[in-house]
Amino acid sequence: MPRYRLQQAALLTLGLTFGSWSWAVGMQALDDSELSGISGQTGITLEVDLSVTANAIAYFDDGNGIRLEGFRVGSASDPGGPAYHQIKIDIGADAALNLDYLVQDRRIEFSDVRLVGSPQNSMGGVFLDHDMEGTLRITPGGALSQQGYTFDSAYSVRNGRLGYRTNGNEVFLDGVSLDVSSPGMTLDVDGNALLLTSPSVTGQYEVAAIRYSNNPANRGVSRDASSGEWLPSYGQLQGDFDLSKETRIRGGGRFGQQGLRIDSHTEINSANFLYLTNGNPLALRGITGYLAADDLRIDVAEDWLGRDALALTVDSFHGELNVERVELGSAGRSIGAVNVNFLFADQVFNGRQYTNALYLQGGGHADAGQQGLRLAAQWSLQLADLSYVDDGNRVIFSGLQSWGQGDVTVNVSREGALGGTQFFDGVRIGFEGLEGGYRINGLRVGDPDAPLQGGTELLLALGVYPAYDFEIDGHITLGAGGPSGEGLTINSDIRIRNGSAALIAAPYDEGQGEITQKGLWASELNYDMHVRNMTLDITDDGFAIITGEAWSTMDVGNLRVGAKDGDRSFGRFVIQKYEQGSSMTISPGGAGNVCVGGAGATAAACNASGGNWEMRGDEGITISLKQILARAVDDTRRNALTWETNRQLGPGGRPVNDTGVKLVLNDIYTSDGDGTDSNTFGIRTDLSVDVYQTRVVKKSDGADAAGVFGYRGDERIMDSGTAAGYRYVSNPTAADRANRPLGFAVQAHSRFKELSINNVDLVHPQGGAATAIYGVKLQNVDLRANLTATPIQ
Amino acid sequence: MIINATTLLRALGAGVLFSPWATWADMAPLDDEAMAGIAGQGGIYLTGDIAINEFGGPLQNAYFDDCTDASKRCGARLAFRVKEDGGWLVLDDLRGKFSFEGLTLRVREISDGFGGDGAEFSGDVLEIGLPNIVRYDDVRFKFAASSTARPTDVGFQQTDILSVQIQGDVVMEGNLLVFPTGNP
Repeated sequence: MPRYRLQQAALLTLGLTFGSWSWAVGMQALDDSELSGISGQTGITLEVDLSVTANAIAYFDDGNGIRLEGFRVGSASDPGGPAYHQIKIDIGADAALNLDYLVQDRRIEFSDVRLVGSPQNSMGGVFLDHDMEGTLRITPGGALSQQGYTFDSAYSVRNGRLGYRTNGNEVFLDGVSLDVSSPGMTLDVDGNALLLTSPSVTGQYEVAAIRYSNNPANRGVSRDASSGEWLPSYGQLQGDFDLSKETRIRGGGRFGQQGLRIDSHTEINSANFLYLTNGNPLALRGITGYLAADDLRIDVAEDWLGRDALALTVDSFHGELNVERVELGSAGRSIGAVNVNFLFADQVFNGRQYTNALYLQGGGHADAGQQGLRLAAQWSLQLADLSYVDDGNRVIFSGLQSWGQGDVTVNVSREGALGGTQFFDGVRIGFEGLEGGYRINGLRVGDPDAPLQGGTELLLALGVYPAYDFEIDGHITLGAGGPSGEGLTINSDIRIRNGSAALIAAPYDEGQGEITQKGLWASELNYDMHVRNMTLDITDDGFAIITGEAWSTMDVGNLRVGAKDGDRSFGRFVIQKYEQGSSMTISPGGAGNVCVGGAGATAAACNASGGNWEMRGDEGITISLKQILARAVDDTRRNALTWETNRQLGPGGRPVNDTGVKLVLNDIYTSDGDGTDSNTFGIRTDLSVDVYQTRVVKKSDGADAAGVFGYRGDERIMDSGTAAGYRYVSNPTAADRANRPLGFAVQAHSRFKELSINNVDLVHPQGGAATAIYGVKLQNVDLRANLTATPIQ
Repeated sequence: MIINATTLLRALGAGVLFSPWATWADMAPLDDEAMAGIAGQGGIYLTGDIAINEFGGPLQNAYFDDCTDASKRCGARLAFRVKEDGGWLVLDDLRGKFSFEGLTLRVREISDGFGGDGAEFSGDVLEIGLPNIVRYDDVRFKFAASSTARPTDVGFQQTDILSVQIQGDVVMEGNLLVFPTGNP
């Protein structure tokens, strides 16, 4: 049996079309001592110390090219050294090829990805470090015929790193462990397609840290090369999966003759995913569903502005994800279950055809440096339903659609001003001329076939508008490290222009085709939002957000009722906010047991006081807010509300801002009420939200539109045995009360020590400001509320 | 002084009618059939109770404390002044609880009715469906005049002018419609 060790001994340069290769291999006989350590071996054992470099690897498609530059395979720990490979090859009696392989200290990297048509810009560099050990068995015969192949594969990755680097800054997964087993994979030729099936892919993974470096001297290291300190981390990842996959690969792109087409279907039999900071998890447990891409094409082509790009276009991308439990915090308590199903496919929105395409380009933000990623994107979410299940009670946000087009840039940036742009430490996600929108058709309660109802405005409590059109510019920069240890630090500047946000929204389709979506609209919306040093992390209790400083101006050109572009308006509203040190914690678990309309800590005591004892279960969401409204610093950073009407009309009959009469509530701020500048208490609010049965009563005698008769004050009780699905009951029994309609139950407690308004002015365009109220002080406020909100059909 | 809920409701109603929001507002009952027959209007139905300073507020000092200390006030306090360097008008010791059932909020199209005004308007309005019953449970406050904004400020003096306590049920029917009219 021949045994050889291949070592670095010679330099071989290959003159290939994609650049120049240099690699080093050699053969050396094993000495007696090494031979003595090998016993019972069959087949061939190859040991390779591999070091491969290439100036560039290029791929051309219809004359357009993309180049991977600075390609290297070698040691991860020694930039000039080789990586050790050991491969044991054995041919079995069944003609199967068995490979056992071991890889140690290997780095695969390339420093730049450039498009041949725009060589001045780079997408940045990527590196992959790992130790790897595994087996691969190849046997003849695939899923369709004996001309195919079957692969049985299992491997483990340890000490892995996967990083992305731009302009000397990098972000990477550190300490990656991965174990994968995929027996019975097959490869066949099916017509003009290559068919790859993976009936069972199981595994688990762990990422010890997601690190960030702004030191150019660091290249894929866990500790800073200058200080020796651990690099800051965004947190850890853990998970496991059990998948089945089928993929068809064909030649031919969407543009020209060449390119690649992929059709794939992935079944998620089971999966779990955990994101942790300082050991506290956000856990998605019991994930099932599927993901499928139909006619995904990969080309090197131009985008809609004629820019060279790696183009990913897809006919449709659809899937369903079910998450059995969403857990937050160390105690493993659950918010509930969530489900989403979606279909991305071509669709006409607002008279314009949208598709799903992603054009990857180099450069990123123009001021950030030569390296970065620019994603020219167009998306068309034809339909999605999102549902939330709280203790078995299900609410579905039905008919979500979204559309848009524009550029998203990605840079790993470091703090400082470059070319007039302020950058921050972290991964900078920029938005440039991104025009888009979304809308939700309505709510369904119980199951997807339930009647469509209103109520999407309940999302406003979470800061989500039921429908929104926008043009976005700006950035969100995700820095590493939370208030202590792992987590995220966010700095952001977002500017929305020409937006329309629905505060109340009716359906856009009631089953007979698309109609104008009516509602209460914040139209001609210009919204500037700025956040500094906002930290996010998972604590023992839940998800914690602490804001260093945040200010915004929401300028609603017209508050309209009806259509968003109608001609009737309540006028212009400008809401300015300025907060320092505000915080929010999102915790699992809702209100629990509640005495509604009475008082008492037990069911008996509550009922005796005239209240209604409600057991809302273990799941649900509790949000704790502390809002510190700071005193005005300037005209931008202040808390104020302006209402303007009687504006002069400009071109197109549109009112011109700042030409009318204004009512201004100026400089609204909190304080601790002790006569000093102390401002630490703020407005504190605890909101516990559950999906629960709610009491809905008839408001007049007679039959309703569905022909169901009842008297004023009768309760609506859901009953699938009736034609309308409900009936009215004068004196509901306990069994009836268990079938009350589902809605949102909110328990709220809000309090503040002192809230002041410096002045209330009336402003005339010629006469200027006249103060109407010289100061308002509201002190010692404590509000407790139990509210139920039920969607109206 | 104690006034009943009906008196307060009349006062509130007058306030709504003369507010700038109600420059073209009217009340129109809408029965269940009509409500269900309004297509595509969406909206929500709210029921609940709200308590103001049920056990006191967050301030504890020489003036405020929790409601177990009868020597101090435990309600909320609102002070404002309409004259520069003048005194302060105060709603003091505001607390109590009120409950309601069936408050609705939606957008509604008006294209007929209202003595012909509906056809003339022919547009969408914001409809606030009034709850069947609003229950006031020991809602009280004092109307006062004060020399300072805070009761803990130096030189604080206050004259309580009247006290209001509200107890009982108010039956409310119909809808409050808010019309977008005039020059925005």
